[in-house]
Amino acid sequence: MFRSMTFVGLAAGTLVLAACGSSTQTSSVASSTARGTLAVDPPFRIASLDAAAFTAQLSASSTGAQLLELTGNPVCGVDFYHIEFWTVGGNATTPEVTESSGALMVPTGGSGCSGPRPIVEYAHGTQAEKSYDIADVTNASNTEGILIAAAFAAQGYIVVAPNYAGYDISTLGYHPYLNAVQNSSEMIDILAAARTALPHTLSAATSDNGKLFLTGYSEGGYVAVATQRAMQAAGTAVTAVAGLSGPYALEAFGDAIFFGSVDLGSTEFTPFLTTSYQHAYGNIYTATTDVYSAEYANGIDTLLPSSQPLDTLFSEGLLPATAEFDQTTPVVSIPDEPALSAGLTAALAVPASTSSAQAPIFDLGFGNPGLVNNSFRESYAIDAGTNPDGAVPTARAGVPLAAAAPKQTFRNALYVNDLRNGAWVPKEPTLLCGGDLDPTVYFSVNTQTLQAFWAATPAAPYVTVVDVNATPTANDPFAKLQAAFLASGASLLAYYESPAGGSLSATQAEAQILENYHVSVAPFCVAAAASFFSQF
Amino acid sequence: MNHSTLRLSCAACGVFALSLCCASPVRADDLPPNDFRLGLYAIFFHGTADDLAGPYVPAGVNFKFDNTDTLYGAYIRRLTENVQVEFAVGVPPLTKSEGRGPASLGSVPYAGETLTTTRWFSPTLLLEYSFFDESTPLRPFLGVGVNYTNFYDRDFTGPGSAASGGPTKLSLSSSVGPAVTGGLAWRLAPRWHVYASYSWSEVKTNLSADTAGEIRTTRISFSPQPIIVSFGYAF
Repeated sequence: MFRSMTFVGLAAGTLVLAACGSSTQTSSVASSTARGTLAVDPPFRIASLDAAAFTAQLSASSTGAQLLELTGNPVCGVDFYHIEFWTVGGNATTPEVTESSGALMVPTGGSGCSGPRPIVEYAHGTQAEKSYDIADVTNASNTEGILIAAAFAAQGYIVVAPNYAGYDISTLGYHPYLNAVQNSSEMIDILAAARTALPHTLSAATSDNGKLFLTGYSEGGYVAVATQRAMQAAGTAVTAVAGLSGPYALEAFGDAIFFGSVDLGSTEFTPFLTTSYQHAYGNIYTATTDVYSAEYANGIDTLLPSSQPLDTLFSEGLLPATAEFDQTTPVVSIPDEPALSAGLTAALAVPASTSSAQAPIFDLGFGNPGLVNNSFRESYAIDAGTNPDGAVPTARAGVPLAAAAPKQTFRNALYVNDLRNGAWVPKEPTLLCGGDLDPTVYFSVNTQTLQAFWAATPAAPYVTVVDVNATPTANDPFAKLQAAFLASGASLLAYYESPAGGSLSATQAEAQILENYHVSVAPFCVAAAASFFSQF
Repeated sequence: MNHSTLRLSCAACGVFALSLCCASPVRADDLPPNDFRLGLYAIFFHGTADDLAGPYVPAGVNFKFDNTDTLYGAYIRRLTENVQVEFAVGVPPLTKSEGRGPASLGSVPYAGETLTTTRWFSPTLLLEYSFFDESTPLRPFLGVGVNYTNFYDRDFTGPGSAASGGPTKLSLSSSVGPAVTGGLAWRLAPRWHVYASYSWSEVKTNLSADTAGEIRTTRISFSPQPIIVSFGYAF
């Protein structure tokens, strides 16, 4: 009996198995790791919002409603894809192959939202957390992703935005921070991958019309202009570019910081920079104690990007919140150069609190101990003193060039990646936008230095500079944005002085506004970029 | 209850009425030890599932399974006058899942949408006890056993793929669980009889949906409850 039952069971099973079909397959995974290869095709759609739903979502919060005032209501729906692609790491001598990821935001809807559409390639600002994913609009803290979706994708642009190597799914153990060659390579690679992905997505009714706009904010402003330079060298047509609050003149910026104008955020930026350049060039330090004080040196080369929020790194004592340098001024001693030594020693002193409007912020950059040790700071200062930059500490006559040949390895890395280098100038319409009081990425040292550098070249007619904090003037196409920024500042000042905002004094309220200034400029400059791009 | 189930039940009533009129007493030694049955399943799911978990899944995303009908077949081996073993299989039914939870995910419709279709091979082995002796025309029976369920032909529909974010591979783990049954057997002729039964089995599976490497999971308990009407032939 049992034998016959077994037979019946087997027979039934065989019949069923013969009828089996395969289940639906998911996306294919590329076997190639060549640069620009789309790793997962088609990519994953995180979310899909029609114009009404996106408008409703933004309108539901006060910050979203303010954003809508700048960008206008969405006219298109947006499909948000997470794309994965192959690119390179930052090592300058031995190419590193790595996977990276980013966002592909595709406008959807009727006329003006589907069919052939232009591409905006956007590079984001510095992010401390490794898990950062600009494509994830379901994460309410992803304000930058939501900002570019509202400003560009919901207005009919296809948006392509990398998370950067070292973030999200990338297995690269560091982020090639402000590494012009890697950053631009990655932008070129994600663009290729996005173009491969686009016809295979759930939003295949939208296609690339061939127009390409580059933009980015803060670190991303630098990446956008570096990509402009790289694409120009590669012969890739770019329609227009908008660099927003970027650290373009890296050597000048570094000099300003090391000479005491310590920017807000420097204790985050410096580890990013030294780790990036150590991986790129291998000569920044032999041990991290060559750069950092003993308090922070251990493990700092793998600290960022982090699995923890920046505030946790501060609270756990892994990084100082603001103290970039030691409170004790290093004494510079250059053999046979007593005057220069004395001058540099004076330049390294903690700035007097009354030396400039931003001096109270600079003061925050000093503590005991500081993040960077005095020995390293002194070696940097000596190099800056003997091979001065054309813009810092004081602008020299003529074009503000970067120093020709820095000797100190870290300063040389800044020089190599300074966008004044490379024998190039923009050949396409280029907007540089920022706020002149920015205490994080100095407008004068970066945007205005690059503006002055380009003013003496054939690029001048192509370059437009916008200071959102400037007084609006008649017939200025950006006057409305400037007026809105000033009104926003006045509103914030009134808020901080009110009981709801803590009844701060005017000085305290202004300090509070300055603390958030860099972030608060972002939506205004992104709106300026959208307005600028709409001309082409 | 859907229309096909209603029709099935009416047909079953008719068969029983006919059986009551035509039944004739039989002797125990007339009965051969083997029996084949053929009939219809109406399967009612009383399933529950944990909310879907994984990347980019908002809270409250769930689904349910539509009831279904299919053909039933079984081999029965009589061990004694009152004890028998049943090996039951059904033609694997196409079962549809339907979104339950938010009306839409973003702007993609979700609740009420047919998301997946799945076929499942679900044989059950039962040890049954029939009351009264074999000469009794109407004999109730009870049984306990074990069910094995394997899911195949697992597909996401267009709306399902849209809600998932792209083409999605659906995996459902096989299940082994208890089964119970109870019913009535009505002998029409020495070798022919009609059965009506109600069964319950525990089918639990781990669902995994892979969309471009993003994995969403849940644990589903189906608790299928088939009502079966069948004809049997002893040999």
